[in-house]
Amino acid sequence: MTYQAVLKAGRDVIHRYGGNPLIAIEDLAFRCSDIWNAGVVRFRGEYLLLLTVETLEGLGSIFLARGTDGYHFSVESKPFMTGSHHGLFAQYESFGICDPRVSEIDGTYYIAYVAYSENGKRIGLARTDDFQSVERMTFVSEPDTKSGALFASKIGGRYAMLQRPWAGGSIWVSYSDDLVYWGSSTVVITPRSGYWDSTRVGAAGPPIEIAQGWLLIYYGEKDTTAGPLVRLGAAILDREDPSCVIARSNIPILAPREKYERIGDVANVVFSCGALLESNGEVKIYYGASDSCICLGTGMLDDIIQVCNESRKEY
Amino acid sequence: MLHRWERNPIISLEDVSYKCNTVFNGTPVKLGDEYLLLLRVEGQRGHSFFCLARGKDGFHFQVDDRPCMLPAEEGRFKVWEENGIEDPRLTEIDGRYYIMYTAVSRYGYRIALARTDDFETFERLALVSGPGNKDGVLFPEKFNGIYARLDRPLGNNVGSIWISYSPDLVNWGHSELVICPRPRYWDSFRIGASVPPIRTGRGWLEIYHGLKMTATGPIYRIGTVMLDLHNPAKMIGRCLGPVLSPREEYERIGDIGNVVFASGALVEPDGEVKVYYGAADTSICVATAHIDELVESCFLTHEFVE
Repeated sequence: MTYQAVLKAGRDVIHRYGGNPLIAIEDLAFRCSDIWNAGVVRFRGEYLLLLTVETLEGLGSIFLARGTDGYHFSVESKPFMTGSHHGLFAQYESFGICDPRVSEIDGTYYIAYVAYSENGKRIGLARTDDFQSVERMTFVSEPDTKSGALFASKIGGRYAMLQRPWAGGSIWVSYSDDLVYWGSSTVVITPRSGYWDSTRVGAAGPPIEIAQGWLLIYYGEKDTTAGPLVRLGAAILDREDPSCVIARSNIPILAPREKYERIGDVANVVFSCGALLESNGEVKIYYGASDSCICLGTGMLDDIIQVCNESRKEY
Repeated sequence: MLHRWERNPIISLEDVSYKCNTVFNGTPVKLGDEYLLLLRVEGQRGHSFFCLARGKDGFHFQVDDRPCMLPAEEGRFKVWEENGIEDPRLTEIDGRYYIMYTAVSRYGYRIALARTDDFETFERLALVSGPGNKDGVLFPEKFNGIYARLDRPLGNNVGSIWISYSPDLVNWGHSELVICPRPRYWDSFRIGASVPPIRTGRGWLEIYHGLKMTATGPIYRIGTVMLDLHNPAKMIGRCLGPVLSPREEYERIGDIGNVVFASGALVEPDGEVKVYYGAADTSICVATAHIDELVESCFLTHEFVE
């Protein structure tokens, strides 16, 4: 559909999969409080989801779900990662871990996640080669920082990562030679007064490399008298300098409309930790709906790019 | 416990020859015989900048007739300093003088780092934190070849003192929590490093600020804490009560009343420590104590000793 036709139809650019939700609490072999969101990665021919599952106690944990077609998934019965009890990590993960975002670099899969404790929230980085064992590397931010997403290739010879510090509610980019010491941080995307993303923004999944640069699916919050409304938008970042925003959608590409997006533990939220670009140009966005189930939305890359570019025109 | 100099404040508005709003939070260094104070001056717009003052005894100073460092007017630092540069803290490492300060802009405040060899030209090195972090103080020594600083991010709205490390002063990591506010104490609401850590026989002495909230606003006081010499992430002693509280009129009354805020210290050869502090965010004062007293204050177990 053209962008204008989409607007006329009153529908979002991202189309909901007919079988949504993909995963709800009823699909789990274990008891839990709820399922919040999913990161995604292709691994050895399979689609792997990394789910944030809230335990009954209220702690965030990460479970794996596997599938072969990208639509049907089987959730493992044991967690892949839970708040650490060892060493320095234990102190900062005492309230759990959430929001895993996966990036593959040179055959290693890096998982950036949010660690919660009484000392605030900060981004942890772990790595795995096989999704059997996982090794925590280090924390890559001070608190309060969330939505850490590693670029899948180096920029200017350095690792690059998007982060969302609490102060200012903006998406920042930081660089590192070794994934341990980070610097040269600068702002990328800020909230916009008067828009759908007026209160705060954050990276959804890690940026996806496209011909035009980096496609960033991001979430934007707008505070209302009844609480926040969280929607997804898109932006295109310059390949060599991701702090340079080439285009940014003025409208959300996905907003809560269906019942399962309006009603749940945290109402009116669509929140993603990962998307995939398929070889046919389709973007699959795996998102959490109202922090209560995992859903899939798809759109053609060209339509998403057009929405970003169209935003620059008067109409 | 710190003894105020009887002729405090040492520098205030009247001592500055150009128009400004206030002078406070100066950081000292001794070069040969001369004492230098790098002052924070708040301009009338409300944006701060730096100016030097010079003296021979550490108590009497002459303020330069023009600022030495203004918010960057060009280049990559400009946007981050558009609303001012604040709270400089000087640390000497290997003969070079580093200034860790706060850069303020529409994006919030961040820690910035500059360096000078002669106090005439100042070279900006990098913005060294994300937004929402300040009170950065650099250790005067490296640990196994790695630089270290104390800083003050906010976690769950609580301002605690953290430590961060860097191989090159530009890229920072391995951050850990070191010291928290203490519920129901004088430093229950928020704390932050104030003076670059001072090496003593028993560890790194950190003179810090702490505040508690009252019905009419915060009271800022000065405290002491001791960090392990080899593992500065580990706190090994902490004062029970503050070593200085606002009492004098010039500490109670000013732009922000009820504030004593240490901004630097010098240890003299005879062990006397001159602690320079901002009073009510309006003037600069000095108070003294012997280094041994400050060290001991970190290890007292009782307030009242018979």
